[in-house]
Amino acid sequence: MMQRILVVEDQEDLREIARFALEGAGYEVIEAATGAEGIAKAETEHPDLVLMDIQLPVLDGYESTRRIKALPGMERMTVIAVSSFAMRGDEEKARAAGCDGYVTKPYSPKQLVDLVRQFLAKA
Amino acid sequence: MMASQPSIAGQAHELTCKVQELERELTEARRQLAATGEILRLISRSPTDVEPVFDAIIASAVKLCGAHQGAVYLYDGNLVHLGAHRNYAPEIIEILGRMYPRPPQLDQVSGRAILNRAVAQIEDMRADQLYSRELTVVGAWRSQLAVPMFRDEMPIGAIVIARPEAGAFSESHIELLKTFADQAAIAIENARLFAEVQARNRDLTALGDVGRAVSSTLNLKVVLKTAVERAVELSGTDAGSIFYYRPEVGRFELGETAGLDEEVIAKFRKLDIFMGETGMGEAIAKREPLQLPDIAKRPKNPLRDAALETGLRASLIVPLLGGEGALGALVLQRRRTGEFAPSVVSLMQAFADQSAIALENARLFDEIAQKSRELEIASQHKSQFVANMSHELRTPLAAMLGYAELLRDGMFGELPEKSVRIIERVQANGKHLLGLINTVLDISKLESGQFKLTLVEYSLDGMVETVRVATESLASAKQLSLRTEVVRGLPYGFGDEPRLTQVLLNLVGNAIKFTDAGEVRITAEAKNGSFVVSVSDTGPGIPEEELQRIFDKFYQVDSTSTKTKGGTGLGLAIAKEIIEMHGGRIWVESVLGRGSTFSIELPVRAEVSGAGV
Repeated sequence: MMQRILVVEDQEDLREIARFALEGAGYEVIEAATGAEGIAKAETEHPDLVLMDIQLPVLDGYESTRRIKALPGMERMTVIAVSSFAMRGDEEKARAAGCDGYVTKPYSPKQLVDLVRQFLAKA
Repeated sequence: MMASQPSIAGQAHELTCKVQELERELTEARRQLAATGEILRLISRSPTDVEPVFDAIIASAVKLCGAHQGAVYLYDGNLVHLGAHRNYAPEIIEILGRMYPRPPQLDQVSGRAILNRAVAQIEDMRADQLYSRELTVVGAWRSQLAVPMFRDEMPIGAIVIARPEAGAFSESHIELLKTFADQAAIAIENARLFAEVQARNRDLTALGDVGRAVSSTLNLKVVLKTAVERAVELSGTDAGSIFYYRPEVGRFELGETAGLDEEVIAKFRKLDIFMGETGMGEAIAKREPLQLPDIAKRPKNPLRDAALETGLRASLIVPLLGGEGALGALVLQRRRTGEFAPSVVSLMQAFADQSAIALENARLFDEIAQKSRELEIASQHKSQFVANMSHELRTPLAAMLGYAELLRDGMFGELPEKSVRIIERVQANGKHLLGLINTVLDISKLESGQFKLTLVEYSLDGMVETVRVATESLASAKQLSLRTEVVRGLPYGFGDEPRLTQVLLNLVGNAIKFTDAGEVRITAEAKNGSFVVSVSDTGPGIPEEELQRIFDKFYQVDSTSTKTKGGTGLGLAIAKEIIEMHGGRIWVESVLGRGSTFSIELPVRAEVSGAGV
């Protein structure tokens, strides 16, 4: 069975790039454009890994990650934070919110696939 | 021989007479000497008080010049005043008390001496048509002698002696009286000088107090309170206040006060005092102190009416003028009517000058504080804008770079070779643009103080190796040799590893970029608790005049190189900032045509100041 990745990203283009790259590498991609949608899809779709944009409107990536991890049976869900700010402290905040990995935008699609592959191999 | 006998007796008599006369003269001279000596002692003993000196002078003058009465008259340049006197009958004193002070006149011998600036005699007052009729009747004298007293050749009074008999005074008595007049003048001058010195000292002390307050504190209230309190104290008036002028409303506002009770202050504060209708406006317009000897005679206005109600009658208004117009006024107020003395006016002028300086200082200080607050806010807005903007720029760029890579990697099918090359150019330019945006973001973070160091343990050896690996391909593409010389066994460093790597990458990247042939060499060693890292190249070198400015923001040695070599001109400015935040320094040495060496001296263990986690 294909492994499934939930991409929570408000920018449509970036969502699409992630989808192309991950689908090209043989993963199934579930898309969510907001934090709330991300939480809902995590709950219903049970993905194998979540790529979580940090700078989301309304419900940001930190809070969305916290809520996903608070769902029953989701404590161990792998969440990789994606930040475009590259500010000091972002990574720490992401880890504090429960994120397992951290990547800054703009990332190369190839790098993203490599990172996802590494985390899924660990899980 | 016999014929000479009586003449011998005559001679003896003559000699005896002469001896007696000489003895008399000697005795008189001794008495005169004793008297003048006594007066001089008195002068030196009581420099401030001329009265005992005058008493002694007139007593001696009367006694030694064969007179019965006498007096010292003082002249202030305008009026003659009766001073010490001796043996005047009560009715004479009564007449003189009524007569003086008055301008010098020819009906008195003192007046003649003062007006003519010369010794004056009345040999017989009954025969003198000009002499005061009243005194001719009552006065118990027939002849009078007056000698003027001088200071700087100006008459300041006269000594007068009187005798019951008519006739001229002897030359020796005139000379003696002149001596006494000189002594009296010395006593007056001494007392005047002493008083002046004291007053000056007092004024200077007070001005010093205010001056110190002006320079030691920018607290305007303290300065002006000191000024107005000292002004009232020194001028001996009843009250004083400083009014501020508020140009935006065209009105005065009561500031600091002295000698006014709370109730009056509250009353003054409520007044609407407009520039046009008060003495303050007048003084400011004329730019000089204004005397109001009786405010009851002034046209009605709120301040005048309120002051009158509290019993104040006379005012002295000194304008406070700043570089840009009226700041306000210093106002002295007195219950008694009349003008303020010139010395008070000039002292108040000095106080007003000090107060104006204080006001001006405070105004400038406020202005500067306000301006720097505005600047700070503007600068924060700018930095925030730049930070937001660069973030916004990165989002579409991320999409462009992402799509380009997907295309390049054949995600949507193999591309013709030409297309691959074009996509690679798009990628290269996109990455360059990303680098520029990141640099601008760094600068904006530096400027807004958001740029913080995260200090960790690092290996300098490892850092140099990382940089070498990252730049190796750039160097070999230009056929440059890239060499590293790192001293073995360097200690671990403590600093912001990614930032320091960024600096070193920048220096090596620049060296490779600007060098067309030869080598780029990185050396690293540790000396006295610091790492010294140098990047040398065999490039074109940097002209002497550019060396100082090369670390300035947006500075590029040759602006045309921006087009050919790229870059924002920010790399070195950021490098300098990062190194300095670590407590280190960065500098460059260069010889034109031979190459450049950029060096960094960096504490092995950086201090935590300016660093945030």
